[in-house]
Amino acid sequence: MVTKLKQVLFREFKKSETKHHELNYLFWECTTRCNLNCRHCGSDCSKDSFYKDMPLDDFLKALDTIESPSENFTVVLTGGEPLLRKDIEICGREIRKRGMRWSMVSNGYLYDNEKHISLLNAGLGALTISIDGLESSHNWLRNNDKSFERVDNAIGLAASSSRLNFDVVTCVNKRNFQELEEIRKYLIQKGVKAWRLFTIIPIGRAKEDDEMFLTDNQFIELMDFISESRTRNDIDVKFSCEGFVGKYELKVRDSNFFCRAGINIGSILIDGSISACPNIDRTFAQGNIYKDNFFSVWQTKYELFRDRSWTKTGKCAECEDYKNCQGNGFHYWHGEKKNVLVCHNERLKKTTNR
Amino acid sequence: MKRDWKRKIIGGLCLTSIAFVFQACYGTPQDFGNDLLIEGHVKSKKTGLPIKGIKVSVADKVQYTNTDENGKFSFYMEKIQNPKIKFTDIGSTENIFFLNKDTIVTIKDSVLMSKQPKVYLNIELENK
Repeated sequence: MVTKLKQVLFREFKKSETKHHELNYLFWECTTRCNLNCRHCGSDCSKDSFYKDMPLDDFLKALDTIESPSENFTVVLTGGEPLLRKDIEICGREIRKRGMRWSMVSNGYLYDNEKHISLLNAGLGALTISIDGLESSHNWLRNNDKSFERVDNAIGLAASSSRLNFDVVTCVNKRNFQELEEIRKYLIQKGVKAWRLFTIIPIGRAKEDDEMFLTDNQFIELMDFISESRTRNDIDVKFSCEGFVGKYELKVRDSNFFCRAGINIGSILIDGSISACPNIDRTFAQGNIYKDNFFSVWQTKYELFRDRSWTKTGKCAECEDYKNCQGNGFHYWHGEKKNVLVCHNERLKKTTNR
Repeated sequence: MKRDWKRKIIGGLCLTSIAFVFQACYGTPQDFGNDLLIEGHVKSKKTGLPIKGIKVSVADKVQYTNTDENGKFSFYMEKIQNPKIKFTDIGSTENIFFLNKDTIVTIKDSVLMSKQPKVYLNIELENK
């Protein structure tokens, strides 16, 4: 009864958020160059990107179109690997000059003591570093023998900062699945306070590699692992907001599933495209900063993000949980968009009912 | 303003106050701006000229920066009430050496509470 009531209220909350669509969170895909060649990369990033890094001035022109940024408005630098940009601190300072905050997603490879200090000096406020297993499985996934050693150092530095709102993310796959408890202990020992777990999206390089994807039983075990870990108070473990997980909803994260792509989350991609999260199918772009006013696009477009009724197709058409899920994460709609790429809820139900 | 109240009431009723704190799937946690900007310049007490290459650091923290050719420095640091900032000559000029200086910065509550807290320091160093 209480759960049902909470769901009803949360749906009202989502409606209100959608109607007002305040921009709180802006991804900037500042480079698509990357120093690693990860097996699970959804964007097929490589050392030599087809695109040049977006000039800072081009991004700032778009940023300056935002009228009265919201209170906790944050620009999230992502890539590729943002630390490959030589001007990353200048980018950060320019964002801060505008009264906005900035954060960064990194693979940690170039995050050494000197970089840690220069980024803090430039007003970095939040950071996410990814680690995908203990040494051998992390290095395997990253295709780099030194990757673990480097990220281990980066995690130690970031966790030591009382200024940074820092978390670690892990893409769970068949190879690191058995290591989760060990990774948890390792992160606690490193002083990490928050750990987010993902599954891998079947796009980009990952698509053809079966080792990337958990079986249905493993997925349930992952939910149980997160749920159980959250009852201990040694580290804040959660499942990412990638999808609706039915009966596990409030057991594996703090809040009900709510894909805010295009509702509170926007992005400026490497080619100037205006969209939401960078892993969303690029055909959903709503405009381009090189010909459109960014904020005007945010205010007046994004219809497909804010009215998701079009996702009631394929397996979502008859789903009894649709009203709480609304088509799962937006990034699971690719290609023809006739069917959702992954349904977490279906996997859970299917396995539980066996 | 009206909308903010409505938002908070509905969010609160959901019994999930953290409804307002979110992060995109592949993004970072949100930053709640728990820092302040320390800016300033360093000059010679004797000549009044700016000093380049003075190390400006925060006591008991890893952060530091160096003054530029105009004696200026600027960095963000964790918001604390009375930070101790240290000025150390690490080889500013070939023939002159400056005495190190520690300054406890008293920051008013009104500054700390402001949206973008900022402090400007004018520092003079004496010759050794």
